Order: sequence, then structure tokens, then C-alpha cells
Amino acid sequence: MFLRLTLSSALLAAGLTGATGSTAGSTETAGTAGAAEAVRAAAGSAGAARAAQAAPGSQPSCSSPYRIDKTLPNGARWQLCWEMRTIEGLTLTDVTYTPDGGEPTGVLRSTALAQIHVPYDSGEPRFHDIGTIGDDAIALKSADCPGGERRSQFVCVTTRARGHGYMKSDGEGVSTSVQGTDLVVFAAFQLGWYTYLVEWAFGDDGAITPRIGATGSLSGFTTTPGYGWPIGVGSTKFEESHNHNVFWRLDFDIEGSRGDVVEQYDFAGSGTSKRKLVKTVFDEETKAVNGRMRWWRVVDSGVRNADRHPVSWEINNLASAEYRGPADEAFTRADLYVTDYRACERLASTNPTPGCGKSLDRYVADGKRLTDPVVWVNVGFHHVARDEDADPMPTHWQGFRITPRDVTAKNPS
Amino acid sequence: MRRARIMMAFAVAGATAVVGVLSLVPGETGSQAAQSVARPPSPGDPLTGDEVTRAGRIASATWRSHMTTGRAELLYVERDDDKAAGERRRADAYIYDYRTDRLVVRTVDLARGEVVEERTGRGVQPPPSRGEETAAAELLLADPKYGGRVRAAHLKAGGRPLVSAADLGLRALTFTPRPGDRVAGACEVHRCVRLFVRLPDGSWLDTSRIVVDLSAKKILTLEW
Ligand SMILES: [Cu+2]
Repeated sequence: MFLRLTLSSALLAAGLTGATGSTAGSTETAGTAGAAEAVRAAAGSAGAARAAQAAPGSQPSCSSPYRIDKTLPNGARWQLCWEMRTIEGLTLTDVTYTPDGGEPTGVLRSTALAQIHVPYDSGEPRFHDIGTIGDDAIALKSADCPGGERRSQFVCVTTRARGHGYMKSDGEGVSTSVQGTDLVVFAAFQLGWYTYLVEWAFGDDGAITPRIGATGSLSGFTTTPGYGWPIGVGSTKFEESHNHNVFWRLDFDIEGSRGDVVEQYDFAGSGTSKRKLVKTVFDEETKAVNGRMRWWRVVDSGVRNADRHPVSWEINNLASAEYRGPADEAFTRADLYVTDYRACERLASTNPTPGCGKSLDRYVADGKRLTDPVVWVNVGFHHVARDEDADPMPTHWQGFRITPRDVTAKNPS
Repeated sequence: MRRARIMMAFAVAGATAVVGVLSLVPGETGSQAAQSVARPPSPGDPLTGDEVTRAGRIASATWRSHMTTGRAELLYVERDDDKAAGERRRADAYIYDYRTDRLVVRTVDLARGEVVEERTGRGVQPPPSRGEETAAAELLLADPKYGGRVRAAHLKAGGRPLVSAADLGLRALTFTPRPGDRVAGACEVHRCVRLFVRLPDGSWLDTSRIVVDLSAKKILTLEW
């Protein structure tokens, strides 16, 4: 009701009374999207059109100490909420990005780990490491959260240099450059012998980097040479190789849940001199596998940047071992899944709710029409132990990237 | 461990008006429980300790009245963040009934103080609770084959005899059998867990072949 009123008054103000507010954000009809766009252009900013879709981060849904609101040195602002859930552990909600001088854009309604699947190379054991990981959060010391602040002992909110934001020479040998910064939110979990660092970095360029670092100790499982690597003195103890197949659940809501569409991009022409853009729109729940030049984006054509391009976030750089398990682990057989939002679909496997599918492959099996897409990303790391992994084991990282595509009309740095 | 935990045991014997044993472990706050604050929580805040306690009580009480037999446990309470619920404060209480091997998830509307949704299923296994970790460890210690080995390992690692399961570092994961599992096939329906056991010196026992069947109160040794 509030939203409709907001749009109606915006339309009135803009002299576009012919459109109705109830269709705000719909991408079904070009006219509606056009109307929303026109509002925004008339109002001279994205504010009116964006407010029409849903409550963005300007009204955060949480309060201290769960609210994170950070403006980075270049003026980029990230607002979000965190929660330590019993099952999924660190969960970030209502993530909103505001580029310097720009409008707030709601990006994610919620994101959390959805599984850490750890199958050993000999075939057994095979762990689904998401238990009640919220209970396994490690109380952080000050040194564990360098330069940042700890929230309720278990969550670190800090900033970190991310290297050159850009650098350019003017041709006379005089260069300008800028250093980028990330807002980093992380928690650490002791899951058996492994310590997992679960982290999201929010860049001052609008990018989000979810990643997980495995450290702590090796399991110490020994095996035959075919399934392991000799660790320690001599060649008698073969530490068993295994995968860490990590799944993230990302409920993108670009300025509200309506109007979000997931697209896949490929560039055909391998072996020729040309690469032709091929766009696939996912209308139904589906799964997809990685390709070298393939990427995906979540786009909301009802939300436009100053160049009138639809705002989107691109999902790329899934540096994955692409583990494909046996038939009873069909959830491992794709790298990205798109499901229609269901509150009970929380984990990629061993989903804990009755009346709901048990794993990702089941969620997409009915090919339901997408109205509010949720994206699931699977990134695997094949861990072949080495002598350097002696206790305490060095952190090995795995993750992916979410980069803004046409959120701003210019370099936000 | 760090979360305010509620464990509720339901007695079979004619306990009509008697409320089950409700023990709230106070003090530590962690995963679910937000710090107790005077002001009401914002819609997106984690559940407060009070809300967790209240939701657990409401969910368990109503459910108990429908129970005629059996022993069950309130595993934990999670904030319900269903978009359809808007800004209402709701909580999902996970209750497991070991006699019928049913998981019951009851959604409590905290403002209304009542259960607004219930989902029940067999063969659905949410992560083990802390209470279940302890129960699994007690079964392991009582096992004629493994109990002695755990005690011996504990004595060697800690220099003192093991008094109770509380002396061990515990972590449990649900166990679901692979197709054709001859030893643990019952775990398709039973409440079965793997148990990770950490000794006083920080080392872990190799328990990778051990499965604890909480429904049958049995220790299984996997064959692979
Ligand atoms: Cu590993």
C-alpha cells in the first residue's frame, strides 16, 4: 500500500497520471517499465522510481549491533544487516549499495552459506558440513579483526585495501591513480578439524566478493597412494584428498523482489575469429554449468541508471574444481542454480524443512516459472594435501565475484 | 553451547497438567539469541533470548497436547524470515519426535503468541542440536566396544579419567545413508548422526566410521 502511494504521488508529481502504481517494477509490459523510467527521468533522479518497488536500504530493517552502515573513502556506501543463524551461521540481509553521489540500490535481500560438502577421494566419508554452524562460531579476539570492530564477539566488520582502483597516464608521463577499499564482514567457524573463515567483501566499486577460507587442521585421514599425498617424513602416510564444495544462496532483490530476471551470456565462435553475444533469459527454474566466457546477471529492467540502462549485478569468476558427484548427490552436478523464492529452500543439500525439497537439484526439478529468482552458486576446491598444510594449515580460499553492471553510468571509483 | 538453549523432555506417563522439564541454560548468547535489550527488536534483528524462549514454549506446549506417546526434543528456534510474513516477528521451532521419527517445524507468530503454521515430515533431518550431541556421546560412551576406547584415549590425551560426555569436545552432523547401505539403512528414517570427538589435547578421535542412531539408541559401524 505504502509503495503504491509512493509511486502514485511520484507519477502525479511527474504529470504521468495515466499509469497505475500497482504495476510498478513489472517487466512484463514495456509500457510500465517505460513509465517508471520516465518518472525517474522527470524527477531527475532514481529516487521516485526506485522507492516505488519496495523498501530499499534507506530504512534498514535492523538496529544496532546488527546494522552495518559504512561509507568508504571514495564515497561508496554499503548498508546491510547481519544475523548469526543457528543453521546457516553468518547471514547478511538487506544489502544496499549507494555509489558516491548516487541513489541507494537494494541488491540482496539475503545471502548465506548453503552447504559445505566435503567428499573424500576414496569415496568415503562424505560430509555435509552445515550443521548448527551458528553454534560453532569462534569468539574473535581483537587481533582476529584487524582495523575493524567486533559485533557480539562473533562478527568482524572491517575495511581492507584492494589495490589499485584505477591508474592512468596522461601521455606526458604523469599518472593518476586511486587505491580501492573493501568493506569486509566475516565470521569464523570451527567445524570439526577445519576452521572456516566466511567472508563477504563489499568494494568501493560496487562489487561483492563472497569467499570462504579453510584453515585449522587437516582431517588426518590416511589412504592409499591413489587417493592421497604423502605428508610428513617419508612416504608412508598418505593424507586423503577431498573436495570442499561450497554453496552460497543469494536472494537478489534489486530494489525489491519484483522485476528481477536472471540472464546467461555466452560468446559463440570458439575456433573462429569472432565472438558473438548469445543471451539466454531464464524464465523457469534451472541449473547451469560454468563456461570459460560464460557469466550470468540478475537484472531489473524497471530500475535504470542515468544512461537508461537496466541495473544489474553480474555473477562471474567461479573459480571452481567443478566436482560432479554420484547420482545421489545430484546437487553437485551444476555450478549455478536459479530457483523461485521459497522460504523453506535454505540448504543445497540436507535441507531441514518438511514439505520442501531436500536438495538443490530437487528445487529446480519442477521448472517453476521464475517470479522472484534466488541464485545458488557452487564453487569447489579440490584439496590435495601438501607438506605446507602442517598444523596450523595455511588458509585456502574459494569464492566468486558479483560485479555491478550498469548500476552507475560512469566509473564509481 | 553459546546459544541460550532450551531442552524440553516430554514424559510419557500421565503428565496431563504437568509441563515438561524446561531448563534454560542462561548466560551465553550466540547464534540466535540477541542481547536482551529494553527496546523492541527491529523486524530484521535476530530473535532475542526472550523471543527464543517464548517461541519454544508456545511451539512445544501446543504440540505436546497432541502427543500421546513418545519422547521428543525441541532442537532449536530459528528466526522465520519468510518474505510473505512481511515485518512480522516469527520464529520456527524445530521439534523432533524420536518415537515416530517425525520432524515438526512450527512457526510461531510472536505478536499473536500462537502457532500459525506447522510442517511435519519423516526422513527430514535438520542439523543435530547440542542436546543431541550430548545424547550421542553418552550412547558412544555406553557402547561396550567404543566406550572403553574413548575413555582410554581421553585418559592418554588429558592425563585424567573421563567423568562425563561434557569432558569431550563434541560436534555432530546428520547422517544420511548412501543408497544400498547395509549397516545404516535404517537411517533413511531414523535420527542418525555422525559424531566428532575432540580430546583435551585438541586432537580428534577418528570417528569417521561411527554413526549414532538416536532413534534406536544404537551405535553403528559403517563398512567402507
Ligand atoms: Cu581440505
